[in-house]
Amino acid sequence: MINLTAINKSYRVGELVLPVLRDVSLEVPAGEFVAIMGPSGSGKTTLLNIIGCLDSIDSGCYSLADEAVDRASDDDLARIRNQHIGFVFQLFNLIPRISALRNVELPMIYMGIPPVERRKRAMEALERMAIADRADHAPSQLSGGQQQRVAIARALVNTPELLVADEPTGSLDSNTGREIMLLFSELNQAGTTIVMVTHEEDIAAYAGRTIRLLDGVIAADDET
Amino acid sequence: MLSFIFDRFNQALYGLKDNRRRTLLSVLGIAVGIAAVMAVGTISKGGNYLIFSELETFGLNSAWVFRDRGDKDPHRMVRTGSGIDNDDYLAVSSGCCPAVRRISAVLHGSIGKRIVIQAINRYSNAQVLGVDVSLTTIANDVVLQGRPFRARDIASRRAVAILGPTAAADLFGSASPIGRAFRIGNRKFITIGVLEEKSRDFLASIGSSGGQDANNRILIPYTTLQQMQGHKQISYLQAEAVTQAQANAAAEQIIAVLKRHNGRNYAYKSETMATYITTTARILDGVAMIGIIAASVSLLVGGMGIMNIMSTSVLERTREIGLRKAVGARQRDIMQQFLLEAVVISTLGGMIGLSLGTVASIVLAEVTGFPLAPSFTVIVIALVVSLAVGIISGYLPARRAARLHPVEALRYE
Repeated sequence: MINLTAINKSYRVGELVLPVLRDVSLEVPAGEFVAIMGPSGSGKTTLLNIIGCLDSIDSGCYSLADEAVDRASDDDLARIRNQHIGFVFQLFNLIPRISALRNVELPMIYMGIPPVERRKRAMEALERMAIADRADHAPSQLSGGQQQRVAIARALVNTPELLVADEPTGSLDSNTGREIMLLFSELNQAGTTIVMVTHEEDIAAYAGRTIRLLDGVIAADDET
Repeated sequence: MLSFIFDRFNQALYGLKDNRRRTLLSVLGIAVGIAAVMAVGTISKGGNYLIFSELETFGLNSAWVFRDRGDKDPHRMVRTGSGIDNDDYLAVSSGCCPAVRRISAVLHGSIGKRIVIQAINRYSNAQVLGVDVSLTTIANDVVLQGRPFRARDIASRRAVAILGPTAAADLFGSASPIGRAFRIGNRKFITIGVLEEKSRDFLASIGSSGGQDANNRILIPYTTLQQMQGHKQISYLQAEAVTQAQANAAAEQIIAVLKRHNGRNYAYKSETMATYITTTARILDGVAMIGIIAASVSLLVGGMGIMNIMSTSVLERTREIGLRKAVGARQRDIMQQFLLEAVVISTLGGMIGLSLGTVASIVLAEVTGFPLAPSFTVIVIALVVSLAVGIISGYLPARRAARLHPVEALRYE
């Protein structure tokens, strides 16, 4: 599913070149649930962004679902994100002024799905997340857990093979966090590959595999 | 396709609702600009139409020929007189000029001293003109009551007169002047006709009515006036060319005949309605251009308003843009979204401006007395211009939004 070979990534801060990832190679077969952990500055979010095709690499090879991401054009990357990847963020990133339903519709707009079909599928996704009764609510009218459910519905609505989550429980209380993780486990059992960044051990415990990053290199890769 | 456009449109509306007050101000900016441009356009068009229709009442094919007292006249210091007399008039009117359809001698009354014009105890300050039979036809004058001159009136120097409406009212009040008598100096005239009122709003407004208020004239046979003044001079010739395009040719043909007769003594020049119209049109176009440029400044300000609101909007929605990119928006999708927002603002402004401009035009037409000349072209131009303003001023902010890096956009606080 995910195939990273000798990835290098650095950021330029003024004159300084700051290496973030150094020669990282990683393979994630389809159907895995991977947690990426590591202290802040270790490069875990950068790695996640690269896996999610949001960020580019300086050198190395990356293929996702048999597409050569490192050689893809801007438009191709947009299409790959649209069709193969669903995103879940720590701060949910729902568009504030539109309803939950319309937020879930968003990826389908860029896929070119007609409105009626879009509405139907968005509603189904919300039902799967058990949040359909709040379809007409604006994000500000929802609790954190509810917002994250809407965000997950949005991530799944285009039925992507890969779910990329950046601290999905980071702004939720532990009970709600646990609920979200149970959802993730269900999704994973249904076949979705999940890559998740977290810094909480008990959240990482839901994943079947934990990768620990330290100073831009993989320090440990454990099956649990 | 239609649902796709509708979709994008909806997205744009969502964006605008968020910044309702700022959107409204931008819309207003464009609206005022469009309205101003439109009002100026309509007014200048109305003015054009008015002037043209007033000039038209002088006869579009008219040409005037008179003595040139400037440098061209070799004897301007020595010789007095108009340089045209009855013999010359006979020569030019006897079919020598193919471009001339009809021609009339015109002789000014009362040059220098004032002649009293009086009917019982009422007076007139009208201008007395000695004319031939065809003048009323050439000058597009309509004899509303009574009859026009006949050849016999001229030939036998009859003391008959046709009055302009102002002169008629001054001398006879509301009573019918036909058949009534009045005096020019010590000679008694009988009124045989009254002319229709001519619109002179525009010409009067620029002060060109001066000595030739068309409504305050008294026309009498030129032969009669010559008899009263004791000479055989003619002030100028007024001709009607066969076509408007031939007006200059007609004048030249008349001048050629006059030169053959008096070329050693006098020089001549001519004016035609065609050149008047061209000149006036050029001046009016210049004035309208200045007005439109001035009005365009407000459009420019409106455009900057849009640019401002779009820039702010892009900044405020950086995270949204990042999110949209994460879920699959291409650069061109983001570009379209923000451009469309700008276009919605400007087109809305254009439509409101169109309504405002229409109201302004109606009011201005009412105030200035210019005829309202509504134009489909103006409407199309207003909408196209507002659309263009939207696209141009929305372009830079939209491009900035489209080029945002998704990771940085998502991280933006």
